[in-house]
Amino acid sequence: MSAVIEVSGLVKQYDRTKVPAVNDISFSVGEGEFFAFLGPNGAGKTTTISILTTTLSKTGGEVKIAGLDVGKQAKEVREKVGIIFQKPSLDPQLSAEENIRFHACLYGVFGYRPTFRMMPKAYRDRVVELAEIVGMQDWLFKPIKKLSGGMQRKLEIVRSLIHTPKILFLDEPTQGLDAVSRRSLWEYINHSRHENGTTVFLTTHYIDEAENVDKVCIINDGEIAACCSPEELKRTLAFDPTPRVCLPTLEDAYIEYLKKTGGEVA
Amino acid sequence: MNNSIAKKRKSGFMRELNAIVTILARGVLLTLKSPASLIMSLAMPVVMMGMIGGNLSQNMAGGLGFDYGQFMMIGMLVNMLFMMTSQGLTSLVEDQEINFTQEMMIAPISRYAIVIGTILGSAFMAIVSCIGTLIVGLFMGIHLGAGQLFAILGLAPLMCLAAGAFSMLLIGAIKNKKAANMAVTLVTMPQMFLSGAIIPINNSSGILLVLNRLMPMTYCLDLVRAVVYAGTPEYANVVLFNPAVTLAAIVGLTAVFLVVGTWLFARSETHK
Repeated sequence: MSAVIEVSGLVKQYDRTKVPAVNDISFSVGEGEFFAFLGPNGAGKTTTISILTTTLSKTGGEVKIAGLDVGKQAKEVREKVGIIFQKPSLDPQLSAEENIRFHACLYGVFGYRPTFRMMPKAYRDRVVELAEIVGMQDWLFKPIKKLSGGMQRKLEIVRSLIHTPKILFLDEPTQGLDAVSRRSLWEYINHSRHENGTTVFLTTHYIDEAENVDKVCIINDGEIAACCSPEELKRTLAFDPTPRVCLPTLEDAYIEYLKKTGGEVA
Repeated sequence: MNNSIAKKRKSGFMRELNAIVTILARGVLLTLKSPASLIMSLAMPVVMMGMIGGNLSQNMAGGLGFDYGQFMMIGMLVNMLFMMTSQGLTSLVEDQEINFTQEMMIAPISRYAIVIGTILGSAFMAIVSCIGTLIVGLFMGIHLGAGQLFAILGLAPLMCLAAGAFSMLLIGAIKNKKAANMAVTLVTMPQMFLSGAIIPINNSSGILLVLNRLMPMTYCLDLVRAVVYAGTPEYANVVLFNPAVTLAAIVGLTAVFLVVGTWLFARSETHK
């Protein structure tokens, strides 16, 4: 499996800070892989995603996305990626559909038309299809201001999928979603992964969502603490010289790992 | 997901153009959805043209050697294009505050497309203000011919781009909406008085002359007046520079301001 994300010695130190937010981390993600980047609050997950998606500059190291350098070929990199940001990034003055249309047109998927009805049929069908998947078809033409937090999250999910990215970055995508929506979202993401070979890079606080990933990396205080398959992670801990319990889930393994490496368990 | 949709993506110049149109359309949509903005755009000319201009017209219009009302009307129209475009550009800072800038910054488009689209989107509000100015002018008995109006309209996109590019120098690096609004006021207000929009500057000297020559609106105003007054006896009294030189200066300065302002804006987003 060829690497579609290659991170080598990545360092990020924010202005007017003494400690790097991300300190010399290296990992790779294979094409079509489902990758989870886990860690407590403030560990450096969002910083890493921001650098990988070209919205934040790095202090040092090398990052390649689909073989493209994020610093020198940022525009080409952005072509390949889609992202659901941790913080909502919707225009509250526009309707849900207008936000989606804005995104699709910025990505050059469709030419801009002033109304939904004037947009091509392919666009209209796709918007309706995605809205039905996340259960927001009745809210498409409502102003963002009238949408609940969960509904806004669903909209961001629809928006991120409209341009069928090669690599999808999900920065805590299901935060604020109800159980039914979470399940339908994951079903759809898994379906599209298999259909299009989309690589998924996930950060989440719901560790159970990372149970079926191909690879998991744990980041703590800006450094990679572990990077392997979930099974390997669980196995390593199960063979710990002083195991207190059998570790059946990734969440158990994750919490134990953080405790062992001195991390703060949120 | 549908692969056929992804394959249909536009590329190169067409994508950039589509992005500019999309961002421009958002600016128009936001203005139309905000009745307060529309009312302010229409009310601004009442204050600027009706009160300030009217007062000046009644008290200092004599002995100028040209029709002051028309002179001021043209100045006010250019001033509205400058002022409202610059104010509209602060939406970039507002977008940063609501994280919407991320949505634009992550798109595979040039940063220039983002800035130019936002400037042209802001220009819509400026055009609304120009319509308001013309209506107030009608009430004041000031008329412009169809040819003069078309000339101003034809130059309006360049004026808006010049105004936006100049404002980007300030707004590009500002992260706070209040500070951005203050910066815009700081730039637009002196220009209205010092660049010759409403007060003739033929006799300016000293520091005021230096400031006048440093202000981009001086050249924009002069170009518009050169086109509007072409072939009239008043031309020599109201036009300061050779229009070809003025046009070259505007285009050159706009390009430089746009490059520097966009660089500042992009840098402030990614370098933290």
